[in-house]
Parts: sequence; C-alpha cells; structure tokens
Amino acid sequence: MLNSLFFILVFPGFLFVSFFGLVAEYVDRKIYARLQNRVGPPWFQTFADFIKLLGKEDIVPCEANARMFGLAPIFALSAVVTVFLYIPIWRYDAAFSFNGDIIMALYLLTIPTLAFFIGGWYSTSLFARLGSVRCVTQLFAYEVPLFMSILSAALLANSWSLRDIANFYSLRPAYCLFNLLGFAVSMVALLGKLEKAPFDIPEAETEIVAGAFTEYSGRLLALLRLAIDIEMVVGAALFVAVFFPFALALGAALGFIVFIIEVLAVVALLSLMRTVVARLRIDQMIDFCWKYLVPLALLQLLINLILKGVLV
Amino acid sequence: MGLIKKVVTWARIKSPWILHFNTGACNACDIEIIAALTPRYDLERFGVQLKGTPRHADVLVCSGPVTRQIEDRLVRIYEQMPEPKFVVAVGTCSCTGGVFNGCYNVRGGISSVIPVSAFIPGCPASPKAIIDGVAKLLASLAEEPKKKG
Repeated sequence: MLNSLFFILVFPGFLFVSFFGLVAEYVDRKIYARLQNRVGPPWFQTFADFIKLLGKEDIVPCEANARMFGLAPIFALSAVVTVFLYIPIWRYDAAFSFNGDIIMALYLLTIPTLAFFIGGWYSTSLFARLGSVRCVTQLFAYEVPLFMSILSAALLANSWSLRDIANFYSLRPAYCLFNLLGFAVSMVALLGKLEKAPFDIPEAETEIVAGAFTEYSGRLLALLRLAIDIEMVVGAALFVAVFFPFALALGAALGFIVFIIEVLAVVALLSLMRTVVARLRIDQMIDFCWKYLVPLALLQLLINLILKGVLV
Repeated sequence: MGLIKKVVTWARIKSPWILHFNTGACNACDIEIIAALTPRYDLERFGVQLKGTPRHADVLVCSGPVTRQIEDRLVRIYEQMPEPKFVVAVGTCSCTGGVFNGCYNVRGGISSVIPVSAFIPGCPASPKAIIDGVAKLLASLAEEPKKKG
C-alpha cells in the first residue's frame, strides 16, 4: 500500500514526472532559442513560470461553467501522470503493469486533448471555442497514424504489455531498426498531439490568441502547462520504451542515466522539428496526416507482419 | 509565510509575461516594442514572453495616447488581467498625451484612465529604454512586494 502510494506520488509518479517535465520544457525552449541564434531562458525559467502562475489570481469567467472549467486541467494532469507509471524506465519491471497496458497508455494520452476541448468549450469565449474545435479536429488526423505505428512495433514483439515489448527489444536491439519508419511517423504525430509547430493550429497565437487556454489564468493555467510538459515527457518516454529500450540492459544507475538522455534526445528532436517548420492550416494538416502519415504507418504495419512471418 | 512570499516574488520578477496594446499610437512605439522582442535583444533571457491574451499576462505594455474610442477597451483589457498586474506606458504620448494632449478625441496619457507602474518616455522610446524601464519596474518589486500597480 505505502509502496504504491510512493510510486504514484513521488517516484516515478507525480513529483518526479513534474520535475522532469519542467526540465524537458527548459531543454525544449533553450534549443529553440539557440537554433534562432538567441541566448534563451535561464535554467530556472520554467520553475519561475510555474510558481508565478501558482501565485496569481484565478479568474473564472462568469459565463463559463465553473465546474467543467476547473476540472478539465486536473483530468488532463492526472491522465498523463498515470501513463508514466506503466512505462518501464530502467528496470525490466514498470511500477505497474498488466497485459494490454499499451492500449491504456495510448488512450490516457488522448484524455488531455479531450480535457482541453472541454475546458475551452465551457469557457464560452469565441477564441477558446474555435481553438477547442480545432483541437478535436486535429485529434482525428494524428491519432490514427500514432496508434498504428506504435502498435505495429507491439505486433512484432507479440505482446500488448509495455513491459514485455521493452524486454523483447532490449534483448534483440537489431529489431529496433525495423521500426525506424514507425518512429518517424509517430514523432510527427506527437507534434500534433503536443500542439507544436507545424501543428500548433489549436493555439495559433497570431490568429486565435491562445486557443482553448484563452480564458485560463493563475493556478489552472499552471496545471494546464504542467500537463502539456508532462505529456511531452511521457510521449517521449513511451517512444523510448517501445522503439529504443536500450537502457533496460544496462542495470539501475547507468540505465536510468541512459533513459533520461534518450528521453531528452527525443525532446531535442521535437524542438528541432518545430523550429524548422511553419504552421500549417487545419485542412492542410488533415490532408498531410491522412495522405502521407497513414499510408506510411500502414507500410510499417505491413513490414512488421511480413517480418513476423519470416523471423518468428 | 515569509519564505513562500519571497519565492513567489522571485518568480514574479523572473517571469513577466507581457501583453502589447496600442491605445492609439502612431505605430512608431509599436515598432520599437516589437524590435525589443526580436532575437537581437532576446527578452526571453529575462523570462519575458509575449502573450496574446490578457488572462495570461502580468504586464500590460501600452503605447500611444488614450483616444476616446479605445478608452473603454483599455479599461476592459486591464480588468481582464489577473492580479497582481502592472502597466507600463511606452513613449511620450502614453506618458502625458504628448503632442495630442488636448485634442478633441484624446483623453490624455494612460495614467488618466488606469494606474501606471512605469513611464518610459521617448519619441519613440528605443528598445534599450523599454528593456531598462521594465527591468527597473521588476527591480522595484523586490523592494516593496506588497505594492501593486
């Protein structure tokens, strides 16, 4: 009982993943700044932002539905923190595990998007509603390639449990090469999930001020930003666990360091991708996902099906 | 309590998010404000981020004299910002009304409508002056944490 509470609240649960999320946001912003020939924020910037938002006034617009408006950030945050408990970090065993938890992890990663939709919709501001509708429209485009590419890796490993998939690939590192196409597809899809350029259409600040977050202020905004940071870390950690689980074979201390480096490398790749591209329109984004990403994910599925027939 | 207050004040100083609002300026001060936000001056070093919505902002950066048309909107934007909030008036016109003072369509400087924490004169105020003014405003927060704009 106490053990489970420790897992959920301290490590690898809420406290650790929040800290890691804020560090990852700093890495993302620093790399973004350096690539734009700037100095970038100091190392404590994301912590200062978070504490400042906690200390600000909470405004709930009088037109908004106060309950839904207040609950949406909490739902988003708790969903993403839960996913991290099921990801094998550096031991062969995750904090919690059951057969089928990869499906649950993917579905829990969808909940923040729905929470942003609900929060934006119930704040009844025009900009927030536009942003939240775009959020959900985008969801239908990137979710399919993301699920297909991650699940095709699971197909090759012949398991629906993240722990078994990570074990399978860490025992056979060469098999990771077969999934490179799926990794590329899911990186692009993750950009859509995190609402970063070129898929930052839902919070395009030059068009619809801040999208679904327009009416949020103070503590609720802090929770929303934390949820997005943790979503980035959890998404990257999921990719590391499914596509490159090399840390598992190295033992506790070294494995943990390698895992952290791998996750930060995925985050760095994400910020590189968002620096070099500009924002698309929503219809271009949907076209791109269905015309190019989905066929590539299908190709990955086909490759893995054939491999499974040949190798196993 | 003292420690928490100190940490929050520190965070407030290190992370001022700004909202840029033109209250009727000739656009010169706006160009200088935008110039201050470019990679050349890189205000993200000080944690400054330009936000689109008053709900996220801590500092309202106004330029230009307050015209009668914009007066209600300025008050509304100011009231939409969460406490604690600060207003910076950039340029001579927004400090006093400048050459437009006394015009039939002009109310005067920003401080004739909403409370202002820092005045940055200049026609237009240069990016360095704007950064210096904001830095001085933030430094004053550390001395008197209870004082609001």
